[in-house]
Amino acid sequence: MLIEIKHLAKSFGGIPVLKDVCAVIEKGEIISIIGPSGTGKSTFLRCLNLLEYPDSGEIIVENRNVLASNTDIPKLRMKMGMVFQQFNLFPHLTTVENITLAPRRLLKKSAAEAKEQAMTLLETVGLSGKANSLPQELSGGQQQRVAIARTLAMNPEIILFDEPTSALDPTMVNEVLSVIRNLAKTGITMLIVTHEMRFARDLSTRVFYMDEGIVYEEGPAKELFDHPSRPKTRAFLRRIDMLNFVLNREEFDLYHFRGQVETFAEKQLMEAKPRKMLHLVLEELIENILFPHTETFTLEIGISEETKSTEICAKWSGDMTNPLQSIDEQGDMARTILAKRCSPIVFGVNELSQAELKLNLPGAVSRGQNGP
Amino acid sequence: MKITMNRTDKQLTASIEGSIDTVTSPDLEKQLTESWDDITDLILDFSKVDYISSAGLRFMITASRHMEDVDGQMTIRHVNDDVKEVFDMTGFDQLLNIE
Repeated sequence: MLIEIKHLAKSFGGIPVLKDVCAVIEKGEIISIIGPSGTGKSTFLRCLNLLEYPDSGEIIVENRNVLASNTDIPKLRMKMGMVFQQFNLFPHLTTVENITLAPRRLLKKSAAEAKEQAMTLLETVGLSGKANSLPQELSGGQQQRVAIARTLAMNPEIILFDEPTSALDPTMVNEVLSVIRNLAKTGITMLIVTHEMRFARDLSTRVFYMDEGIVYEEGPAKELFDHPSRPKTRAFLRRIDMLNFVLNREEFDLYHFRGQVETFAEKQLMEAKPRKMLHLVLEELIENILFPHTETFTLEIGISEETKSTEICAKWSGDMTNPLQSIDEQGDMARTILAKRCSPIVFGVNELSQAELKLNLPGAVSRGQNGP
Repeated sequence: MKITMNRTDKQLTASIEGSIDTVTSPDLEKQLTESWDDITDLILDFSKVDYISSAGLRFMITASRHMEDVDGQMTIRHVNDDVKEVFDMTGFDQLLNIE
C-alpha cells in the first residue's frame, strides 16, 4: 500500500468538514473523488500533503506517518505533487521558468538539466512551442497544462489534482483531461477531485464518493457509477444526470435553452444524431404542445441508468387535460413526431395534483463508451 | 439561418443554411413570399440545412400549396439524412417533391 488514511478529521471554525475519513490507496491507482460541493473533497487532498493540517487521524505514506512531528514536509510535498484549480503559475515567469524553478531550487538541478527536462515535459503536454510565453499569453487550458508539467518536473510519486478543469472554459476542458489521461498510462498514482463524471468513470481504477465528512462509498468506477449501493450516492449520481428548467411562455428563448441541453448532451457523451433528435422532440414538445396548453411548466431531462434512454418529464398546474389529445393543426405534426420517436408517453396527475407528461426517448446514450 | 436567393426568369433557387425551426421559419417565410411573385419553379436547396422542425415543415406545405395555386412546382434538393428522417416520419416525403 502507498497511502493509508485512518480516521482523518478536520474542522474549520468549529464546523467539521472531514469527520472520519478512512481510505487505502495502492501504488499506481487512479482515484477520482466525487461528491457534492462542500463535502471536504479538496480539504481531504490538501490534508494529504499538509497544505491543511488535520485535527486528528493518521496519514501513512509508505509506512511513515506524515503527521509525526519529525516529518520533512518539503520532502513530502516533493513526493506528492499538486495541481490546483487556479493554475498558480508565477505571472512574471515564462512557461519554462515556471517549470524549472522548483527543480533548480529544491532538487538542485543545473539550469541546463532543468531546462532540458522542462522542454521534454512541455512536449508531453503539447506545448513545446510555448516555452517562452508568459502565463497571460496562454489560454486557461494551456496554463493548466503548464501547471501539470511543473508538477511532473519534481518527479512526484503521487499527483493530487484539485478540480483541475473547474476554472476552465468548457472548450478547454478536454485538452487538460487528455493530458491527464496520457499521464494515467504512465502508471503514476493519481488522486483527482473532479466534477467530470464521464472522465471519472472512464479513467479511474476506483472512485471515492465523499459525503457527510467521510468516504461515504467507494468502489471500482464502473461499479460505483452503474450500481451505487448507498442512497446518497444514488441521489447524487441521478442529479448530475439530470437537467431541470422552469419554462415560461413569455420569457422562453429556444436557442438559450438548446445551448443548455447541448452542454448537457455533450457531458453525457450523446452522439450527434440522438442529440439532434432530442432537440427536435424538445422543440416540438415545448413550442407546439406545452406552451399552447399552459403558460408555465417545469421540465426535467434525465438519462435513465437502466435503459440509457432520455427521460423527459413536464409538470404543470391548472389545465389537467392531456395536451397530446388536443385537436389543433399546429400540434398535429408535433404529436406525430413525438409519437414516432418517444415510447412510452405517459400522461397523468401526480400526488401534488400537478399534470405530468412523461416521455421516453430511446437510444440517447451508449454507456461505457470512451470519454471526450 | 442564412438564405441565398438566385432568380432566373420564372425560377427561384433558395439555398438555405442552418436550422429551420420555430425561431427561423418566420424569416424564411417572409423572405420567400416577398420573392416568389411570378415564380413557377421554386427550388429549395437543403444541402446546408442541418435541422428542421414542424415549424419549418408547415411552411414547406404553405410554399408547396402556393406553387400549386400558380400552376408551378416546388422541389427540395440535397436533403441530408437527419432532415430526411423528419420528412419521412411526418409523411412529408409523400407530400413534397424531394430530390
